[in-house]
Amino acid sequence: MARKLLKQNEKVREERAEMTDIGAPHHELSPAALNRIAAQGESKLKPDRQIHDGQYKAALPGKLIRSEGDTETGIADADTAYDAAGQVFSLFADEYGRNSLDDDGMPLVATVHHRRNYNNAFWDGKQMAYGTGDGKLFRTFLELSVVGHEMAHGVIQYSGGLLYENQSGALNESIADVFGSLTLQRGLALEAHEADWLVGRGILGPDINGAALRSMKAPGTAYSDDLLGQDPQPWHMDHFVVTTDDNGGVHINSGIPNHAFYLFATYLGGKAWEIPGRIWYHALQSLNNPMASFSDWADQTIKSANELTGNGSSEAVMLRRAWKLVGIAI
Amino acid sequence: MIIEIAAKGGFGGFAATGLHKTIDVDRQAAPIRQELSDAFKPDELARLSREPCGNCPDRMTYHITVTDEARHSRSFTLHEHQLPPETLDLIDQM
Repeated sequence: MARKLLKQNEKVREERAEMTDIGAPHHELSPAALNRIAAQGESKLKPDRQIHDGQYKAALPGKLIRSEGDTETGIADADTAYDAAGQVFSLFADEYGRNSLDDDGMPLVATVHHRRNYNNAFWDGKQMAYGTGDGKLFRTFLELSVVGHEMAHGVIQYSGGLLYENQSGALNESIADVFGSLTLQRGLALEAHEADWLVGRGILGPDINGAALRSMKAPGTAYSDDLLGQDPQPWHMDHFVVTTDDNGGVHINSGIPNHAFYLFATYLGGKAWEIPGRIWYHALQSLNNPMASFSDWADQTIKSANELTGNGSSEAVMLRRAWKLVGIAI
Repeated sequence: MIIEIAAKGGFGGFAATGLHKTIDVDRQAAPIRQELSDAFKPDELARLSREPCGNCPDRMTYHITVTDEARHSRSFTLHEHQLPPETLDLIDQM
């Protein structure tokens, strides 16, 4: 009881400190944090990409067709996978100081042409695999936000992991979407207000009524189609979906933390991969809770915001507002 | 023997992934018939479904029903990474 009260008091003090210090967003990190990122960033880190052709079979990794530094293969999927892996590596290395997925320089192994008419892409714990799609539901999976999403699953795994079910699984999905979207925004040099915040734009088949697989800006609106159904993602905890399908709705309820990130990045403006991305990355490194709930994660992001931008910073206030707007009060 | 296979899940988390197959094993050519019978033997599927499935994001889930000549059906839910690559190739091939 006493411990609970102490914690409550601490929260009230934090909130008061924030409320008395609301000004224009700093858009700058604390000097210590900046030095740390500068030391890590301007990266001399280099990727070690290994792209394989699965030859439409299920065995992984398949035949090695392009290694780091090799010239283009002329196989569109392989060259896209190579370039996209480089962009994802660069996001994590140059912005967050991370040396590959495991932060220890592991090779980026990917397989294209995985299986026949395969409507999927995944991270299997060691590598990425991309199907071609069947041309009806999906036309490709080699789109930058998708590649970023899959590689981010690797980063999450090597950052302590998030159990792939229920809320922790939805966080796993959401964090992968966030870094997938940030890879794309950074690649296109788009500020938060210019980005479409879609994940998997253009990968759906030509007759599918939909723009993308998910929308972080407006969860639940990415597609509405006879074959695929209606995009089931909620944006608020009031609409949280309780289901045993999809590992407890990991691709469904991820809409809620996705939308919180979108709101936060939009409140701050500017390049979402900078302060918002750094806060999310820092929170992921600090979380240390594979069974984290949405509330645990929100709390961790606030702690990271306070640490990186200063206690009671306007960024922390905006972040708290973003979480509140999706129904997570912290 | 009749094998029915439906898949869901994956990167999109869709209930429908476009994969729904019904295979009449007895109508297949001899070599394939044997491969299918071995790969989709109910005891083998039961064994595979007990294998640890780990923490693999974005993978498909397969619902497989095998009906024998006496019209006895057994159903199994298997994660994609519980199925051997050769079995997945067979699914794709049919």
